[in-house]
Amino acid sequence: MLKYRKEGDASFLSHREAMRAMERALRRSGLPLDFSEGFSPRLRMSFSPALPLGVAAEAEYLEVGVAGEVDPDEAREKLNLALPAGLRVSEVLPVPPNMPKLSRWARFGLFRVEDGGETLYLLLALSGEGQGRLKDAVVALAQRGMAAERPMLTRVGLYASPDEVFEDVRGKVIIFDGRTGELSEIEEEPDGLD
Amino acid sequence: MPPLIFWGYELSEETELFLGEELAGVTRPGRYLGIEVNAYRKPFRSADVTCVLVYPDAYEIGMSHLGLSILYEEINERDDAMADRAYLPWVDMQESLERRGIRLFGLESRVPLGEFDLVGITLQHELTYANVARVLGLAGIPLTAAERGEGVPLVIGGGPGAFNPEPVAELFDLLVLGEGEEVLHELIDAVKGWKSTERRERGALLRACAAIPGVYVPSLYSVHYRPDGAIESIEAERGAPMPVRKRRLTDLDRWRHPRRPVIPLVEPVHDRCSLEIFRGCTRGCRFCQAGMIYRPVRERAEESLRAWAWELVENTGCDEISLSSLNSADYTRILSLSGGLASEMGEKHVAVSLPSLRTDTFSVELAARLRRVKRTGLTFAPEVASPRLRATVNKVVSDEDLLSAVSAAYREGWRKIKLYFMVGLPGESEEDVEEICALVRRIMREGAHGGPAKGLRLSVSVSTFVPKSHTPLQWARQMSLPEITRRHFILKDGLRMRGVNLRWHTREMSYLEGVLSRGDRRLLPAVLAASRQGCLDSWSEFFSWERWLGALEAAGLDPSWYVERERPRSETLPWDHLHAGVDRDFLWEEYEKAVRGETTPDCRFSECSECGACSPPRAQLRLAGEAAP
Ligand code: SF4
Repeated sequence: MLKYRKEGDASFLSHREAMRAMERALRRSGLPLDFSEGFSPRLRMSFSPALPLGVAAEAEYLEVGVAGEVDPDEAREKLNLALPAGLRVSEVLPVPPNMPKLSRWARFGLFRVEDGGETLYLLLALSGEGQGRLKDAVVALAQRGMAAERPMLTRVGLYASPDEVFEDVRGKVIIFDGRTGELSEIEEEPDGLD
Repeated sequence: MPPLIFWGYELSEETELFLGEELAGVTRPGRYLGIEVNAYRKPFRSADVTCVLVYPDAYEIGMSHLGLSILYEEINERDDAMADRAYLPWVDMQESLERRGIRLFGLESRVPLGEFDLVGITLQHELTYANVARVLGLAGIPLTAAERGEGVPLVIGGGPGAFNPEPVAELFDLLVLGEGEEVLHELIDAVKGWKSTERRERGALLRACAAIPGVYVPSLYSVHYRPDGAIESIEAERGAPMPVRKRRLTDLDRWRHPRRPVIPLVEPVHDRCSLEIFRGCTRGCRFCQAGMIYRPVRERAEESLRAWAWELVENTGCDEISLSSLNSADYTRILSLSGGLASEMGEKHVAVSLPSLRTDTFSVELAARLRRVKRTGLTFAPEVASPRLRATVNKVVSDEDLLSAVSAAYREGWRKIKLYFMVGLPGESEEDVEEICALVRRIMREGAHGGPAKGLRLSVSVSTFVPKSHTPLQWARQMSLPEITRRHFILKDGLRMRGVNLRWHTREMSYLEGVLSRGDRRLLPAVLAASRQGCLDSWSEFFSWERWLGALEAAGLDPSWYVERERPRSETLPWDHLHAGVDRDFLWEEYEKAVRGETTPDCRFSECSECGACSPPRAQLRLAGEAAP
């Protein structure tokens, strides 16, 4: 599994374009990649949920099958040499055999909302129940005077459940419910209460 | 030029701000980033000579073009020069640029085009001529060479369109005829020398450039017309060459670019790496400009191609290498080259493909060995169906060749085949068009070894014959719109059958192409007017024949005069001062043979037909192995 950042100009690459760039870099890296069978072998890859254009990201993930040993540091360096500016692999991690598929666990996205004033954290279900669109959430924030109309957005993490966000942030997180359009605040549960 | 450089730097920051605010609002912003892998991104300020290479069409099309990627590397490998890239922005981005008063900029440096020393624009197709004016307008560069003064870049044209650039010739300070690799270096040297002189007089630079073989400076030639509109004479200023002769490389193994092509961020129309295996084609199809202007055949050595292919794969991570040329199955060592590469590259999951096939079983077997091509189906270009027209266009394929090619493809498992035909050829009758229908029906009936080709899907793509300069048919008339409509309906009626899908080129687009392909300088006001009114002809949604008609009428020109008129031998053609290597007399003989229905053999397999491209005959022909018909 690769953990990567998508920043600056690269945040204007569409999901598909970023995937293309990653695939090219993987092919160039010389890593022992695992291809599908058949007439047109494809790389077995899966990506984190698509990001809207213009939104930067600090912790995206990509799973790719390898058929052999990989030295994580060397792989990271090779990949970064073959990526466009703004796309950077920060970690190469082996996937433990019992780990669920990326698409299964990456269900919530945490976004940093910056508009020059106070920094907010916004949590959004990216799939399943309560799924919401980032655009709608930002409009809701602006309507309630919580953020400017066009704040700078960065996806900082992906999670399986809302409470996991507190592994990365402290304090207040706003959660947007896609069904009702409501914003609510969640807070870290004090230790020892679960 | 310190103030200019300072200026460029200032404006670059303004561009940065603009991009930050506008990118999120345009479609596919990846087109405008310039952060591609393998982009040189050389600093603008430290280069002695700054160049920007422009493809006057969308990023996705321009990034698939081999020619500019060759020149891009040639320039950037020099220590004293840099090359940036630019494309025609999509309409939403054009609108943003204009609204914000930002001038079109080079993708990598983000410096406006007007700050470069050289702006090189490729002319690949007549339907991009209005786009060229649009690019210059967006860049804020005075449109015509005559309006340009000191501190304005030299605008250079190239590509096949440079062989009859007349409708847009005056937009260019100079054009390069033929292969640009060598001449570009000579031009850069000339500009570098000129920049170090005291006075930097533009006229002096232009005259110095005109002395470089292959360089055409339109302002040094004046065209005089007769009352009926035909050309009376073309006169060159003292010292300017007459005619201007094209440039050509002979030993292609010494020229190996691109080696590290820029990897497009946005998926291009052809998403693969091209390995150019040879240049030129001497099959001699009489409608084909490429087959005349790039003569003779110059093949690259097999060994050097193999090494080069690996270099491309390592440098780009591409999943497909296309063995490109005008007719790749003709490469004398194609079996060993493609077979060898396919098996070596298969291990790396890289496919080897051929962009075009000849209409024969050999080509099908070749494609079958490469296999991956199957994804998209096979394409054959028989062009015409009647034996008489085959002789006219010098395309010697029989129905049997086509049938056996199709059944070979069918046997190999292909079920999707595309056929290219052309209508509107000189001497073509409606019966000739009906023969296309008959041939297609016969393929469906007998395509599987004499039996019905069950499950075969034929896509029949029909283009309109447009006479091109420097071809034997340059004197011929192009058919009127009603005549072509009639032909399209014959095909539509005759090909109403299951499994056959018919498509044709927009008639008015081919008509406009015909106006421009044999046009003269009087057309420029019409091109500029059409461009001002938003005609971007290569993007069908922005093509407007009505606007063009209006623009032509306003310029006092009748399109049918350019399109539907057969020219006499004695008439001075608008491109007679430009020599593409093949002699006018040879072309005329070929035209007469076309009318008589006589064919001319390929000089690779039989004797030299003395077209004029080599001197002495065959001297510049280069084959990698024995030629076999
Ligand atoms: S001069 Fe002769 S050998 Fe050379 S391209 Fe022409 S026909 Fe062929």
